[in-house]
Amino acid sequence: MNSASATAPAPATRARDYKSDIKPIWCPGCGHFAVLSAVTKALAYLQLRKEDVAMISGIGCSSRLPAYVDSYGFHGVHGRALAVAQGLKAARPDLTVLVAGGDGDGFSIGGNHFLHACRRNMDMTYIAMDNEVYGMTKGQASPTTAPEWDRSKLTPHGTGVPRFRPAGIALAAGASFIARGFSGDPGGLTKLLVEAIGHRGFSFLHVLSPCLTFRPEHKEWKHQVHPCRQATTSNAAEAARLIQQDDGKGTGLLYVQELPVWQPGDGATADLTGFEAEFRV
Amino acid sequence: MNENTKIIETVHEFLAHAVAMEDESAERYEMLADSMEVHNNDEVAGVFRKLMHYSEKHADEVQALAAGMTLPSIAPWEFNWNCPDFPEGGDCSDMVNYLMTPRQALDVAMHNEVRGRDFYAWVARESPDVEVRRLAGEMADEEQQHVDLLQVMLERAELSSEPPLEDLDPPNSPE
Repeated sequence: MNSASATAPAPATRARDYKSDIKPIWCPGCGHFAVLSAVTKALAYLQLRKEDVAMISGIGCSSRLPAYVDSYGFHGVHGRALAVAQGLKAARPDLTVLVAGGDGDGFSIGGNHFLHACRRNMDMTYIAMDNEVYGMTKGQASPTTAPEWDRSKLTPHGTGVPRFRPAGIALAAGASFIARGFSGDPGGLTKLLVEAIGHRGFSFLHVLSPCLTFRPEHKEWKHQVHPCRQATTSNAAEAARLIQQDDGKGTGLLYVQELPVWQPGDGATADLTGFEAEFRV
Repeated sequence: MNENTKIIETVHEFLAHAVAMEDESAERYEMLADSMEVHNNDEVAGVFRKLMHYSEKHADEVQALAAGMTLPSIAPWEFNWNCPDFPEGGDCSDMVNYLMTPRQALDVAMHNEVRGRDFYAWVARESPDVEVRRLAGEMADEEQQHVDLLQVMLERAELSSEPPLEDLDPPNSPE
């Protein structure tokens, strides 16, 4: 990734130009504001035309992101953001496809789509904004919630279930780009987004994005998050060791590898008339 | 300050930082004002809206200093701040909530202004360029005036402040 040249002219489209007129309804203090800001800064850095970008989401607080970005957008069905995004990319490979969602949407309801999107390796960027809680429904445990978290009526003694490990599972499922960012490090997050968008294939960007309303203890994340202690690797075995040994708060590009990108060919491969004839009774 | 922070050496580079910081500050206050309006906290929304206007005014002043110059385009992650984030307009998420009072909004402003002053003072102290040091010194003085003004406003707010509103249905309690 080339850095901005010190003598390059000022960009024509500013980050704020990529924001829509709709005011976010996230709670004040929500980490998602910084993710929105990083997305618009990354788009401005890359100087992508608004009509060349599509942002797809499912359901949840983070899934409101497409409404706040002035590009094409689709606020879809719970857990199905990746399915919709892959359909769009298949039909319009020219678009830069960004997918946004939360830990519940992406790893529980949409968990199966996540696995297969990783192995299919279509060229898109998946921004998973992880706040370890279902915020929109007032604070229930999600797949990434610690087993002992007991602040929900649904799980008064905690879930007792080990966490879902997004980065490790993405690696095992065949993702070709895996990174972790933090909403409290907007510069670093923007850099990862630029790299993710530039990567050819499925880029998984796991973003630690605190929910201070239902998880006020997340204020401590700013003291817990740290740069990853190991350099980026393209070796899956090394990446597996790095991800397993990490405490889940290490940020940076964890793994990147050039793998075959799946993209259907142009045009229909079957004759519709003949296809219909097979079903005629 | 992160390990990659470099000393700012040219007027162009310095003004690019100043413009970015003041713009980010205005944008952050606008976002906070919008957010408070959405949550029906109009009084605090008004405070943040005023702070946004002050930041915009300051951004215009810095832009005027850069008139006729072609400022370098700096990647968002390559600014040389003396702190991990934008000094003004940086992350203050743990200082805000939808029931916050005008006094708490002034705390946010003070947090930002002190960091802005410290950034300019750091450049005025460290830059090898005389003109950069002069400009940064003037801006540090200006930020100090903002800090002093805010201090007076905070003392006034302290005298007239009401306790934060109580949330009768707190979001983080078990239902």
